[in-house]
Amino acid sequence: MALKSWIEWVRERAKQALDKPSPYGVDVNIRDYPIGLESIEELDLSRTSIVGIDIEKASREALYLQVDHAIFKYLSRIPGLEISRIEEFIDSNPDIARDYVWRLIDPGTDKYTAVAALRGSGGYFIRVKRKSKIDIPVQACLLLRSSSLQAPHNIVIVEEGAEVTVYTGCLIMPESAGLHIGITEFYVERGGKLRFIMVHAWNNVTHIRPRTAALIDEGGEYVSYYMNLSHVKTLQTYPRVKLMDNAKAYMASIILGLGEANIDIGSLIELNGYSSGEIISRVLARDTSTIYTRALIRGSTGKGHIECSGLMLDERSKIVMLPQLEAKGINAQLTHEASIGKLSEDEINYLVSKGFTREEAEGILIRGFMNVDLTILPEKVRKYVAQILDLMSKKAL
Amino acid sequence: MGILEVNGVSISVDGRRVVSSVYLSVGFGDILYILGPNGSGKTSLLRGIIGFPGYDVVSGSIVFDGEDVTSKPIEYRVSRGLAIAHQFTPKLSNIDTLSLLEYVCRRFKCDNLSESIDLLNIRYLLNRSFGKGFSGGELKRVELATILLQRPKLALIDEPDSGVDIDSIMLVAEGIRRLLELSPYKSIIIVTHSGLIAKFIEPTRVCIMVEGTIRYCGSGSLLGEVLKYGFKVLDRVG
Repeated sequence: MALKSWIEWVRERAKQALDKPSPYGVDVNIRDYPIGLESIEELDLSRTSIVGIDIEKASREALYLQVDHAIFKYLSRIPGLEISRIEEFIDSNPDIARDYVWRLIDPGTDKYTAVAALRGSGGYFIRVKRKSKIDIPVQACLLLRSSSLQAPHNIVIVEEGAEVTVYTGCLIMPESAGLHIGITEFYVERGGKLRFIMVHAWNNVTHIRPRTAALIDEGGEYVSYYMNLSHVKTLQTYPRVKLMDNAKAYMASIILGLGEANIDIGSLIELNGYSSGEIISRVLARDTSTIYTRALIRGSTGKGHIECSGLMLDERSKIVMLPQLEAKGINAQLTHEASIGKLSEDEINYLVSKGFTREEAEGILIRGFMNVDLTILPEKVRKYVAQILDLMSKKAL
Repeated sequence: MGILEVNGVSISVDGRRVVSSVYLSVGFGDILYILGPNGSGKTSLLRGIIGFPGYDVVSGSIVFDGEDVTSKPIEYRVSRGLAIAHQFTPKLSNIDTLSLLEYVCRRFKCDNLSESIDLLNIRYLLNRSFGKGFSGGELKRVELATILLQRPKLALIDEPDSGVDIDSIMLVAEGIRRLLELSPYKSIIIVTHSGLIAKFIEPTRVCIMVEGTIRYCGSGSLLGEVLKYGFKVLDRVG
């Protein structure tokens, strides 16, 4: 099917799903949000540092910046690494694009994929050439400035034997009320490695609906860290990863629920051959927030493990954990562990006896609770993620 | 007046009296051992002195370094130079040993982190989750490291020799000697029910605690009699 026909099919499929709610999360009226196309002359990008993005540094290396649906800046000064806006990729490579655009995510999945297919704009296209090992993290920043819809479509292709780390920070200006739907499709070819870090900082009137899927070919590796570090009105996402033979995935989510946030986070790993996957969730609920954590690993072979931990920080908050294992053959080895609790008084008192105030002691324990394995990440990125977790633990207090 | 004066202190835990009318005084150069059978209130006394949450001083007063700290919170007492090494420490979920030591070090602006780690031979434990799967000796050594970083004026050491192998006891004794060097008053309180640590750290004074109260205090030589006759020694000296 030629690209044009494929795009027409995508649009038709999307139109049929415009009123179809997601099976999970709070239903949002997508028609309330205009497209943010205003040209902004003066733009303060200093806030992007909240999510760990360093625009100045990235401008010298590798960057994708998008503000609403209006401003785009992208560049790569790194050999073997290509970065462009998705429309540019599609226009200049129609024969290749048809094999990657909307191939992992069905535009008719729900009203959010539908509106992204019909009204979305921008998003990054990142391609790492065969066997290129990129040790500098690619920084991508999606900023929602006006009260509007932002629906970028991102595609990352890691070619055979290549490696890259993509660090994405998404945030909103404090005065805006928006709907962010990021469509992201990852393709990791044979023996490739993709490390994907996504940090979100929204506000208490914003709705977030990322839709993510990854296909990891034989011997490939996919590592993802997702951190939500501030207020959000509602957030629902359920990334899906398909692992081929000998591929590996590690998916960690560290989620902080504040205020009245309603958060529904899932992760799915589909095992094939001798692949292995791990899903790690750390969720912290404060105030009257509600957090649903879903995790599913399924396969007929391979190894999978789910570890979900919840920390209740308020009498009024709520955490629901739904780890799920699905063996479709006798050679699948699947395990899970899940726990929800509060900070231990014994541990707080112990730290207080070492001279910390109660608040400091709680901060130390919360920071500890958020610890996930960061050793998989390159040194440069590990530092960013550790700083984000430090910031999250302070916000949790 | 001594560095620490415990004047007729009674302590309750969950409304139950666990320490009754204890009088103690610690002066310059005192290495005070508090001995007593299990359950005699030794740990409760130390926790009451430092103001550990849940250990309520219901009567009497605690004067430390010339200041009545009876109604002061634990963090204040620690900031004034008291420190406690616990007999049992909780496992701190997901916090590695190095992170804990660094937190304490930053809190007290310490400059002896590396020295303390080496002194107590705990470098190999630094990347392990604090307390998880540690042997008795490893727990004591890491715990002692946390208070070395505090450089306290007066350390309260709870059962440094229980459940500890001989190699660890020797290292723990090294740590206690270092604490004595760091203390401006060269004083320390050690609680023990076995007295094993005394082979390495000689007491200057010994008090025997039974059923929640100090029954008798004497010179360092009392320890030898306790080790010889057990706590029945009270029948001889009393």
